[in-house]
Amino acid sequence: MDRRLALKQMALLTGGLALIPGCDFSEEKILAAYDELQITEGQQEMLKLLVDTFIPKTDLKGAAELGVHDFVLVMANDCLGEEDQTRFVNGLKGFDEYVKASFGKRFAKMDKPKAEETLLAIVGKEAGGDEDLEQYQYFLNTTKRYTLQGYMASEYVMTELMPYHLVPGPNFKGSKKIVAGEKVNING
Amino acid sequence: MANLNINSVKENTYGAIVIGSGMSGGFAAKELCDKGVKTLVLERGRKVEHNKDYPTTNMMPWEFKHRGQIPEDVVRENPAISRCYAYREDAAHFFVKDTDHPYIQEKPFDWIRGYQTGGKSLLWARQVQRWSDFDFEGPARDGFAVDWPIRYKELEPWYSYVEKFVGVSGFYDGIDNLPDGEFLPGIELTAAEEYFKQQMNEKYPGRHVISGRCAHITGNAEYYAKQGRGICQHRTLCQRGCPFGSYFSSNSATLPWAARTGNLTMQNDAVVHSIIYDDEKEKATGVRVIDANTKEMTEYYAPIIFVNASALNTNMILLNSTSKRFPNGLGNDNGLMGKYVAFHNYRGGISAEYDGLREFTTEGKRPTSGYMPRFRNVYKQETNFLRGYAAGLYGSRSKEVNYDGIGSDLVNNMMNPSYGPWKVGSHMMGETIPKESNYVALDSDQKDEWGMPLIKINVDYDQNDEDMLKDYQEQMAEMFDAAGFTNIRTWDDGRRPGLDIHEMGGVRMGHDPKTSLVNKHNQLHACPNVYVTDGACMTSTSTQNPSLTYMVFAARAVDHAMKNQG
Repeated sequence: MDRRLALKQMALLTGGLALIPGCDFSEEKILAAYDELQITEGQQEMLKLLVDTFIPKTDLKGAAELGVHDFVLVMANDCLGEEDQTRFVNGLKGFDEYVKASFGKRFAKMDKPKAEETLLAIVGKEAGGDEDLEQYQYFLNTTKRYTLQGYMASEYVMTELMPYHLVPGPNFKGSKKIVAGEKVNING
Repeated sequence: MANLNINSVKENTYGAIVIGSGMSGGFAAKELCDKGVKTLVLERGRKVEHNKDYPTTNMMPWEFKHRGQIPEDVVRENPAISRCYAYREDAAHFFVKDTDHPYIQEKPFDWIRGYQTGGKSLLWARQVQRWSDFDFEGPARDGFAVDWPIRYKELEPWYSYVEKFVGVSGFYDGIDNLPDGEFLPGIELTAAEEYFKQQMNEKYPGRHVISGRCAHITGNAEYYAKQGRGICQHRTLCQRGCPFGSYFSSNSATLPWAARTGNLTMQNDAVVHSIIYDDEKEKATGVRVIDANTKEMTEYYAPIIFVNASALNTNMILLNSTSKRFPNGLGNDNGLMGKYVAFHNYRGGISAEYDGLREFTTEGKRPTSGYMPRFRNVYKQETNFLRGYAAGLYGSRSKEVNYDGIGSDLVNNMMNPSYGPWKVGSHMMGETIPKESNYVALDSDQKDEWGMPLIKINVDYDQNDEDMLKDYQEQMAEMFDAAGFTNIRTWDDGRRPGLDIHEMGGVRMGHDPKTSLVNKHNQLHACPNVYVTDGACMTSTSTQNPSLTYMVFAARAVDHAMKNQG
């Protein structure tokens, strides 16, 4: 628990600093739900936007409307190691500026095709020792990984799209002929 | 010293005391209660009642905050338990955290514990293969440990007796070194496993592939309804506790059964400090118990005491039971108590793919998998290492999800999974050789919160284990190759001893009081009203999952106690 405590103390410290007159960030509230991450509502919104870019609403529900961004933050908050967490948080905090500097436009201002293209460009680029780029690649890959996990293991997908059965029943067939064209259910 | 007035002695006196409510303690308690003995079961952990205390049992995957994963800070603080495959969000509450009950690792050892009613019987992998004389005769034939003072013939009726109560699914396979038992309907192999089985029959006669016999009810529903248990519904969420009571645990089977006799007194939060030995009567007379919450000590008395605290904890209690007669621990005249600890070597694994049988898949889930009984050194010594290994085996049709892309492309990709090749694989279950240098002992200084000395664990692999591991990898790879499997990959996961959760020995059984601690009826040679019928009594480890054999010892020992203890 040492690290949690240290972070809390640090939060108190920076919180204290934030009260110093003239500080621009004083109105940006830190979200208590993700105590390890120390992120603001604006940053949460940014993550929601990213999650929605990865899995937008189509004929199917999108990730954001299922609240998957909250799952991504819960996992980043609780399940990442210290170093990875730092990379994730720094990635999230600096993302908008990084996109603006590299692509000439804030991510939030981009239309959907441009936003998708931008994410693919960042993730697909050879990092070649560019630590900044590596950090944002890590951030995006982690966000995508948790987005996929949260979406695929959502109630929506596991009941309506690929039904999961809590009580499958006693019949197990070790050898069942596949019917051509049948939909494959990964939870079946 | 506890309050010793005559009333409290009377109140605290039972026909028998069983220390531990897990697999073997639960069975001992059931047998004692069935025979009309007022039985006190002492469990150091909290109360876990069947169904009532299975908080996650009906939870859906999406209801778990971390979808099963254990948070990072818990993993960091509890490295040993976090390496256990079943320590996940849905069952974490049934495992002991490293931080809650520290122990001393003089050599690395992942000690996996379950402190609650039912112990680890809630969490076990439920594989129940019988031993045979190829196992019991091992030490004598190969010249290690000491000779087992029993043979299969003596245990055979007890295996049947226990299996009938437990409920064991299996097929009658007719294999010399893996005797058939009392089976409920078996669960079939997958197409790929069945194919591999046929390949072995053709190319490696004598190497058998079977469906692992498992402690699940698959038939005879009326009989098990009397235990309040139902047919297995293949949820494969056993580690959460089963709402149908379909897999065997103390919680679902033996303890409720014992309670219904009216003879059971179950006491939780009861940390056993030691067994009381009366120098004048020359026998054990009771047990000293520390209340886990108040830390107060109370004495309980009985003419028969069963020690089933789990292998290493049984060693700890006996070593801590010192008296004038037994200054080094109860029954420890030869100084061998705590020594000759062994386990199962699970380090080896293999995975591969099979491109055939493309038109088939499987349907439903199953609570078991394939199993290959030991085929090395069975009839004669044939390798540069002693003994051998069994192999867990699986072959399942893979489903592939394409997570490439972003946006609607990604959605389209991932919502259209396809069948991939059959994925086949195996893990090793190797017999290890008990050695004097593999031992546990009590630390002379450090004590836990309850004033019990910390246990020091000195258990390690040896060259025999390394050679056997290499052979497992070579043989499995060769067999997979012969079966036409591709992308064959073998590994040594380097796991520490203990993670197999099959630690055994320290209070080994033998003919001779000079070289062993308990006799063929599981009585301490030097204190015969104390029976040790959990993993501590094991002279050698064989390759089979041991719980079934512990229960067999427990049932048989109760029968002996009834016939021989006044």
